[in-house]
Amino acid sequence: MKLAPIDYLIVGIYFLFVITIGYVLKKKIKTGNDFLMSNRSIPLWITSLAFISANLGAQEVLGMAANGAKYGLYTVHFYWLGAALAMIFLGIFMMPFYYGSKARSVPEYLALRFDEKTRSFNAISFAVMTVFSSGVSLYALAMLLNIILGWDFDTSIFLAAGIVLAYTFLGGLTSAVYNEVLQFFLIVLGIAPLVIIGMDKAGGIEGILQNVDNDKLHIWKGMASASTNPMGVDAFSLVFGLGFVLAFGYWCTDFLVVQRAMISKNLNDAQRTPIIASVPKILMPAIVILPGIILLALQSQFKGYELPVNSEGQSDYNMALPVLLSNLYPNGVLGVGVTALIASFMSGMAGNVTAFNTVFTFDIYQAYIKQNGSDKHYLYVGKASTIAGILISIGTAYIARSFNSIMDLLQLVFSFVNAPLFATFFLGMFWKRTTSAGAFSGLLSGTVAAALTHGLTVAEGKGGWISNQHIFYSGTSQAFNIASVSFIVCFVVTALVSLVTKPKPEASLIGLVYSLTPKQKDAAKIWYKNPLVLGIIILLVTFILNIIFY
Amino acid sequence: MKKLLDLRFVIGIFFLTIGILLIGYHNIATIEQNRNESVNIYTGITFSIFGLIMLVLSLFRTPKED
Repeated sequence: MKLAPIDYLIVGIYFLFVITIGYVLKKKIKTGNDFLMSNRSIPLWITSLAFISANLGAQEVLGMAANGAKYGLYTVHFYWLGAALAMIFLGIFMMPFYYGSKARSVPEYLALRFDEKTRSFNAISFAVMTVFSSGVSLYALAMLLNIILGWDFDTSIFLAAGIVLAYTFLGGLTSAVYNEVLQFFLIVLGIAPLVIIGMDKAGGIEGILQNVDNDKLHIWKGMASASTNPMGVDAFSLVFGLGFVLAFGYWCTDFLVVQRAMISKNLNDAQRTPIIASVPKILMPAIVILPGIILLALQSQFKGYELPVNSEGQSDYNMALPVLLSNLYPNGVLGVGVTALIASFMSGMAGNVTAFNTVFTFDIYQAYIKQNGSDKHYLYVGKASTIAGILISIGTAYIARSFNSIMDLLQLVFSFVNAPLFATFFLGMFWKRTTSAGAFSGLLSGTVAAALTHGLTVAEGKGGWISNQHIFYSGTSQAFNIASVSFIVCFVVTALVSLVTKPKPEASLIGLVYSLTPKQKDAAKIWYKNPLVLGIIILLVTFILNIIFY
Repeated sequence: MKKLLDLRFVIGIFFLTIGILLIGYHNIATIEQNRNESVNIYTGITFSIFGLIMLVLSLFRTPKED
């Protein structure tokens, strides 16, 4: 893939715009709240698109195209099963507690509902996880630019990190959110022509049906057993592990995405943010998964669409989208496509850094180091933690380059910490008897259970470091089952310990627990302003899509 | 300067700029025209229309928060 001056010009214009957005918004930043929480003043359409764009990082754009080529249409479960329902649940049931409690972050909600111990466990693990994720994202971007464009690794790292630093440091969360909206449109409009040209070259829908293995063109067929579908997952693991535990755990408790809804102007907007975001989310497979399937159709008809081989001697599915870009895009629009890829990496990185600086400032620095500082002081801390977050990300990118297995191990450990989190939130929000001791012991035991399940099972050569007691058909199936086990253990331990320990007084739980919080009486009568009505409509559409593509 | 705080305006300018560039490039890049000759022009037109829509939207109503 060789870029022409026009392509570089487009990339340069994009860089200029993202930095300009940060520079213009700099004048609006006066306090720590402005910098870290956008002063809860962002309009609904922006929070909704930022909500989905914060998740539209590199793993999404490259990874889902890769999954599309590997698993076919089954990949849509990550959207229609693993996102829509959880986003609607967040909007209708959980957002009133996050927003209504006036908590500034997810860990701060845990402090209000439980205690400081539970907050610090979540805050520290989240802070470390976000900067490492940001670093891994940076590393992946630099490697991609190095492989497909021949750009120097160091230059790519410092250029991308420098630009993200510039606009997040200047304009804080507002700048990151505004850029996420621009990045959303760029990614969608930049990749859409690839889908159209690819479909045309592949012979349209007929061409896809004739040239792609029929097993990859369904979403539920063969799900009765893990051995009869390309994902290697059975229906129960899929529905419970992905659709419930992992999806709800990510969309309802990960501050990276929840933060985008928490900066809305009012509670109704905060509730509708994830629900409205679920509309483009359920349509997103056309942009991120379909290219992988188109590649399969093109591979069987033309030469030049073969995937490169990775270090393990297997097809590198992550190169699915770059292979299509280099084959189908001429210079000009190629610059748009490359810019869209860069935008997806920067969007993911900026999302991680802005979530990190908020959690560090409010839940670590203000909670344990300096409690009564001035607003100006926390603004400086927020800015300093932004710089620190970027620097750690750069360091992590270089560690990932030298010790890839260490990064895999770290990400695995983080997944153990994340897996049981939803059980803690679910019980905390909907069962007033849940105690602080129950929540903390549940989180710890759920994390240990996740690690043990990984140590006792094997999939695609991974896991089984204690002993090999069970073999899963795929790594995906292993991940879904680890999440399920850790959720159940966390749920049971939290409930049992709560029953034998003293709960908080009910008066202190008003606004934090469902049964103790007065129900909203001013439910919007116009359908598009009512979160419940909107949620039901979107669920119906999702259900119909599942039937159509059975 | 105040207009730059309206995200619709910024997005509109961005896509209109890229759209015009792609349309202009299509008219001078003969090599590319031989390959996927219509990709740049159609993408450029789409980007330009989207950019114009965002610009028009930014003229209609300017929320204080933008």
